[in-house]
Amino acid sequence: MKKVKINMMLLLCLLILFVAGCQGKNESKEEERTRDEIVYASTKDIRDINPHLYSGEMAAQNMVFESLVVNTDEGVKPALAESWDISKDGLEYTFHLRKGVTFTDGEPFNAEAVKLNMDAVLDNIERHAWLDMVNEIKENVVVDEYTYKLVLKHQYYPTLTELGLTRPFRFISPKSFIDGKTKNGVKSYAGTGPWVLSEHKEGQYAVFNANENYWGEKSKVNTIKWKVMPDPQTILLALEKGEIDLIFGADGDMIDIDSFKALEEQGKYNTEISKPIASRAILLNSNKPITGDLKVREAFQYAIDKKSIADEILNGSESVANTLLSPTVPYSNVNLKARTFNPDKANKLLEAAGWPLGKDHYRYKDGKKLEVTIYYNSDNAQEKTISEFIQNDMKNVGVNLKIIGEEKQAFLDRQKSGDFDLMYSLSWGTPYDPQSYLSSWRIPAHGDYQAQIGLDKKEWLDSTITAVMIESNEVKRKNMYADILRYIHDEGVYIPLTYSRTKAVHVPELKGVTFNVSQYEIPFEKMYFEK
Amino acid sequence: MENYIIKRLLSILPILIGISFLSFILINLSPSDPAEVALRVNEVTPTKEAVAEMRKELGLDKSFIERYTTWITNSLHGDFGNSYITNKPVIDEMKLAIPATLHLAFVSLFIIIFVSIIAAVLCTVYEGSIVDRIIRGIVFVGEAIPGFWVGLLLMWLFAVKLNLLPTSGMETPSSVILPAVTLSLAYISTYVRLLRNNMVQNKLENYVLYAKARGLKERKILQHIFKNSLQSSIAALGMSIPKLIAGTVIVENIFAWPGVGRLCVTAIFNHDYPIIQAYVLLMAVLFVVFNFLVDIITSLLDPRMRKEA
Repeated sequence: MKKVKINMMLLLCLLILFVAGCQGKNESKEEERTRDEIVYASTKDIRDINPHLYSGEMAAQNMVFESLVVNTDEGVKPALAESWDISKDGLEYTFHLRKGVTFTDGEPFNAEAVKLNMDAVLDNIERHAWLDMVNEIKENVVVDEYTYKLVLKHQYYPTLTELGLTRPFRFISPKSFIDGKTKNGVKSYAGTGPWVLSEHKEGQYAVFNANENYWGEKSKVNTIKWKVMPDPQTILLALEKGEIDLIFGADGDMIDIDSFKALEEQGKYNTEISKPIASRAILLNSNKPITGDLKVREAFQYAIDKKSIADEILNGSESVANTLLSPTVPYSNVNLKARTFNPDKANKLLEAAGWPLGKDHYRYKDGKKLEVTIYYNSDNAQEKTISEFIQNDMKNVGVNLKIIGEEKQAFLDRQKSGDFDLMYSLSWGTPYDPQSYLSSWRIPAHGDYQAQIGLDKKEWLDSTITAVMIESNEVKRKNMYADILRYIHDEGVYIPLTYSRTKAVHVPELKGVTFNVSQYEIPFEKMYFEK
Repeated sequence: MENYIIKRLLSILPILIGISFLSFILINLSPSDPAEVALRVNEVTPTKEAVAEMRKELGLDKSFIERYTTWITNSLHGDFGNSYITNKPVIDEMKLAIPATLHLAFVSLFIIIFVSIIAAVLCTVYEGSIVDRIIRGIVFVGEAIPGFWVGLLLMWLFAVKLNLLPTSGMETPSSVILPAVTLSLAYISTYVRLLRNNMVQNKLENYVLYAKARGLKERKILQHIFKNSLQSSIAALGMSIPKLIAGTVIVENIFAWPGVGRLCVTAIFNHDYPIIQAYVLLMAVLFVVFNFLVDIITSLLDPRMRKEA
């Protein structure tokens, strides 16, 4: 037996040596990490970043590909187009392109390249049906080498904003096209942006290098490493270990609010929070027996304590919303009456709607209990907590709220079928709000459409939304938006909860962490390390 | 023996057909329309025309039997269709992911065998002592803790606190250690108990007593005990290999390991049916094949099994 013991001890020593060996190797690896590279962790791979399709991560598409114009906090600014003229009738946009810009494969960027890209987008028009803009393009013309003209069918007012979206109107080298098209894939990802995709290991990481010939202000770091870590807990541990420098994301997809708060309080890392970006609301289905009654919908608005949701569940990271769209969103600064938490008023409204309180503290009408169901996407833990909170608020006014979490596709199926009383809704965020978001209300596959279908003036609502997009008079347009938003507000189809914000956590040495107008973009080119 | 193998091979065929049929039905029972899902994952608004177009493209307008036979014939040729998400052939996605999973599974297997044998032998040698109890205690705890939690604990301790290993990914050779250890823990528990109990039982057999009486060295005796205790473990191990490959789902997610488990989870969340079907079929084949191999090995080791079959 002694020999056995000795053998075992030897084996143990070997194991220890093995582990120690790993240690040595890793330490030297850590030292190799230069401050010339930002490591960003994402739960998702960049996938196919073809700028004319929708399967890639928008933040990655934005790094490599650019558009004619760019959306900023101060409005639309020049990007690949230095300037533009709009004809008096508002139908012709003439863009004067930036000279001397090349794609990263050496191809020149000129009017011909713009036209080829626009044609490739239009060739796949059904994929872009969500965007009104594609249906408004009548013609696109090469005027001369550096002048390009876009001719529209109507005077479509969001033209410039939508040309600046992350997709689809971005430019890829015509050499990357396959048979003159991009809809079935591209040969390479040559863009004009500040970054070049130099390596991509699917499901593992992607490496972007600074574009040496970039026309604009060059980035201060050389490399961005996009690491894929599907589990948010892993991302937090990797940050603690120093493997990553940055976490960046909207609506809890990269970092949940509790962890964000914890990191903020720890003080070891810097945290950044954007301006209000999108609206979190609950849809009340006007096409269902109980919620079809305006008084009931109004009562629900008063029954919910939004401030506690914002302060306690969302840890103060989101601000209370009293209107569907934040007054900071274009055309949304409309004077609307805020419905703040007031259980007494809710009770009175429900009484008036013919729902008296029963002995069990729930309300009844013709022997039927006042019971409604809220559905949420089960991936979203936050919505579950908010639902439970609301359930309690509703109980206090005699309403029984049932909560059902559903897997994403089932949730989307339900949106389309309209089979819900209450359901979560998130607006698209700037720069898509208000035009693209409102535009989507007219499509039956969206929950918004289904919830609005019971409204008396739904037809008027849809036609006004259609009309506002091509209304040329700024004052008239403003009034039309006000009419739309007021009607929706008065009818109480949405319970506005909060305005969501984009969040970022980074190591203190990393500077210049800011936000773009779109929550889906990450401005890596502005970030740098303090020397 | 040959007859036995042929018989067993013939019985595999209906099982595989059954499984493929079942997986095909199950996916067809899903409440979401695959055509709509395929559109939605590409951010296309599912209008009536677009859905109809997509149904045609995916062949969903054909009868169930027709679809099944097309799918199964194509699958036999290695064509599992294209992923709804990436639009790439499923087989290419699998080819990328399988080596990573195999790497992880085999390192885990190595750890399982290595650690189980050492621990079981230690337990047998020191039966009833403090060493035996500690090892059995650890084994018990290892079996009881859920894998995702152990994974995060190990990551926190070895990667963050001790700074010995990377947290996740597959970039350095040492990256495999943490996921492999996490994956192997539950199995180690099984094998330590199995092997230890067999060895302890064998210790009481008469041949051990005779060996001692003949004055054989302790080490030699232990070798005999060990050899005679292996049979049930080998049979169990045979079935553990496909389980290891199929059971990497959670570990791959936590440790950002780009294998088939992660591929499948993503596919499930996105209702990427072609990938799910291929995964189910692949795993079924793996289980059936390993079951067959284990049967052959055990019948080679023990002729009684052949007669029973």
